[in-house]
Amino acid sequence: MPDPEKRFAEEWRNAAYNCFSSGHKFCREVCPVMQVTRNESWSPTAFHANVVAMEKGELEVADVAADYVNCTGCGACELRCPNSLFTGDFYRFRTRTVDLVKAVRGLAVSQGVHQPGWQRWNLLTDERRHEPVLNGTPIEQERVRDWADGLDLPIGGETILFVDCEAAFYRTSVPRAVARILNLAGYKFGLMNEQWCCGGPAAEMGYEEQARRFAQHNLDDWRAAGVRRVLVLDPHDYITFTEDYPKYFGDAYDIEIVLVVELLAELIREGRLTPHVPVERTVTYHDPCRLSKRKGVWREPREILRAIPGVTFHDVDRVTQWSYCSGGGGGLPVEKPELTAKISEHRVGKAAELGVDTLVSACPWSERPLSEAGKARSIDVVDLHELLAESLGVAP
Amino acid sequence: MTVLLGDPVLEELRQILGTDHVLTGKADRLNRARVPAPFPVHRWAERMPDLVVLPASTEEVAEVLRLANSLRIPVVPRDGGTGLTDGAVPLRGGIVVDVKRINQIKEIDLDNRTCTAGTGINALKLNEVLARHGLIYPDDPASYPCSLVGGRIGTSGWSLIGSRYGHTRDLVLSFDHVLPTGRVIHVGDGIGRKITKSSSGYQLKHLFMGHQGTLGIATEATLKLFPKPEAEFSPFWAFEDYDTAYRAVGALARAGVATFAGAVLFDEWKVDYLRRDDEAYIPQPSSVKALVCAALYGYEDEVRAGGRRLLRIARSLGARYLGDEISEGDWAARHDRYATPLHGRTRSGQVVPMSWHCEDASINYTNLPAVRLAWHEIADRLRRESDVFDDWGMFAYTNGATGADYLTEIDIGIWEQRLDDAAWAAWVRAKRDLAAVALAHGGSISACHGSCREGEVDLVPAELGGGYDVMLDIKRAIDPNNIMNPGKYLLDQAYAEKS
Repeated sequence: MPDPEKRFAEEWRNAAYNCFSSGHKFCREVCPVMQVTRNESWSPTAFHANVVAMEKGELEVADVAADYVNCTGCGACELRCPNSLFTGDFYRFRTRTVDLVKAVRGLAVSQGVHQPGWQRWNLLTDERRHEPVLNGTPIEQERVRDWADGLDLPIGGETILFVDCEAAFYRTSVPRAVARILNLAGYKFGLMNEQWCCGGPAAEMGYEEQARRFAQHNLDDWRAAGVRRVLVLDPHDYITFTEDYPKYFGDAYDIEIVLVVELLAELIREGRLTPHVPVERTVTYHDPCRLSKRKGVWREPREILRAIPGVTFHDVDRVTQWSYCSGGGGGLPVEKPELTAKISEHRVGKAAELGVDTLVSACPWSERPLSEAGKARSIDVVDLHELLAESLGVAP
Repeated sequence: MTVLLGDPVLEELRQILGTDHVLTGKADRLNRARVPAPFPVHRWAERMPDLVVLPASTEEVAEVLRLANSLRIPVVPRDGGTGLTDGAVPLRGGIVVDVKRINQIKEIDLDNRTCTAGTGINALKLNEVLARHGLIYPDDPASYPCSLVGGRIGTSGWSLIGSRYGHTRDLVLSFDHVLPTGRVIHVGDGIGRKITKSSSGYQLKHLFMGHQGTLGIATEATLKLFPKPEAEFSPFWAFEDYDTAYRAVGALARAGVATFAGAVLFDEWKVDYLRRDDEAYIPQPSSVKALVCAALYGYEDEVRAGGRRLLRIARSLGARYLGDEISEGDWAARHDRYATPLHGRTRSGQVVPMSWHCEDASINYTNLPAVRLAWHEIADRLRRESDVFDDWGMFAYTNGATGADYLTEIDIGIWEQRLDDAAWAAWVRAKRDLAAVALAHGGSISACHGSCREGEVDLVPAELGGGYDVMLDIKRAIDPNNIMNPGKYLLDQAYAEKS
């Protein structure tokens, strides 16, 4: 076994044994991939057990790299793990399966083991500075702010709005809604000088060197413009900026990261925003995995939804939603779009059982697969920010 | 039996199941050789199957078994893989038939209060669906969030709330079963799918439950449903000595309260362990030496009345009720969360990473105190032999509503990273000795897990006597080529006799 693999197995061994030795597998039925494939090789338990096998010389990363594709990084397994549930309250312990999956993917890439779809995706991202989200149409750097056409937003300033690749190039109505709402509230912000992809997806697929380069570019750009505060509307960016960047830059990283959905809830609470246009929809809310399961943000989106007049809201509690996912995360749709589609169908099916006409999400990356699945059941998939904009009477 | 799985077999399996559902990767196979029961990690690969198949229907399972039978290839069924007696672990390679994909709900019959589903379904997921109808399938093992119905059938599982609702054998009404030859039969009470009582013919349902995969594979089951209980009451009581707690648990179990779903007795070693190493335990004064809890389920009015009766009985026997908050919290920790610590201690008191493992037996109430002392002696010997082991105390759980017998469990912390050959040999010896104590006290080797692991399995013929000879005859008759889970329950003897 090559040295990096040995070092890896040594580093992760104890964490892996925490799972391997107890072997309770409570994670399995909440795992979105496991639910639709029923293949135990792609379960969180297997992801830990493989590390033990690597340590014992039974497996090499090349044997298992393709198995680790089958994870959306949703974090449900970590919450459902008896080891987290049991000691979590007292010691803030949490089983770290998502980090492990990322680490194995990184190890694979460092050992020259690539997944073809991910390799291509990250190559294109590296070339164009943004993820290739337009189904073959090349992304152009100079169009990264096109979504804001006509909004007269300044460039730079202390506070900027960072818009992820999917929203900047594909679901552009989301950042437009956010910008208009913030303008309405009189909240001052600008756009980034030269925004690149946050680097998070590259890190999730194992291309860590690339992820760090992109992160360095963005941080340098912020520093050059005197940015102190970054607003993020995308939960994936939120993870990248609050977990990956501090890891890359350590104590020197002093940028305040503000989640837009939390900011908007606060502005409503303070009376600076008052939704008043009735929105006649019967909705349920999809807890984006990276908000609810990974960051514990689930109150504010509901607060916003409940502030919108006309909406009939059938809520499903966040614990039940641990086992829900759109399938859109962790690079899964790049390598295995068919699994993403199945996971989305499963999620939309749960919404359909409630008799709603609309599934509200707060994550641009979830909205493309969920919308696809929603068509078959006549369920609209709407972004929370857009719904709020509608109720505030601001133009799209 | 040596198996050479050449391309023709693989090709045929792929024809039956589709390429994606025949797995040959080493990680695929290693992960189907793993169950929660301890086993030396350095010997993991000894238990690898040659390949894994993921069928989606009874017909596919039948075709796989027909092929395996014709070629004399060992077959090991695997469902949740959460068992504690290695039923799902291959001892001779061969094909693991992993039935998790067979998990569709076929029918919910609201009038007859039954549900029919693939055996790859998990009870928690099933109950999420049944809850919409106000119903519950109350099979409630410790592995409730991850064990699957097929595994419950194959092991004839035990349910924590079985005193109220029955155990798996009572809750599964009938099922489709693929015999080792590939023939599909339906077994239940009589032939009916939804019949709860029949006296027609032999009672085959019990025969095809708890065989640990040695007699075939269940693929679709019809289950008995109950109204989802409106109320839960889970009182915890503290005692200053074991004997008082023991008298109290007996009285509670014998009280005949209809909503009584089970009671648990924690012995002195258990309380001591919880106090020193269990992060979720709400500390009690050192005068507390033993605990009892009970669980009641039903409509609120009947649970209130039953609960008051049990509180009265416990008080009259010297129990101190710990209050609603601690009771609810501790029941949630032990039952809903299935609390498991990540460490134990060496004899010198050093904290080391350990995982929980339990050995069980079925013991009559009157023999609980004696078995407890004998078992702790065995655990103490283990600790003297190796720092890999820690005594985490004992629980005794009621098996039924009348309080006759108890699932008696000793929990041993095992430092699995250090489980070498010597420690493993000591463990196997200890398991055999624990089983011997159970038998010497008129008990059964297992109430819950089954008894086909190394160690205790040696005593199964002694436990069953002439019944074991019948087991051999049945095995030979049903599985003429010994393809189903060969090596389990010492059943190879059936074929040795023949030759």
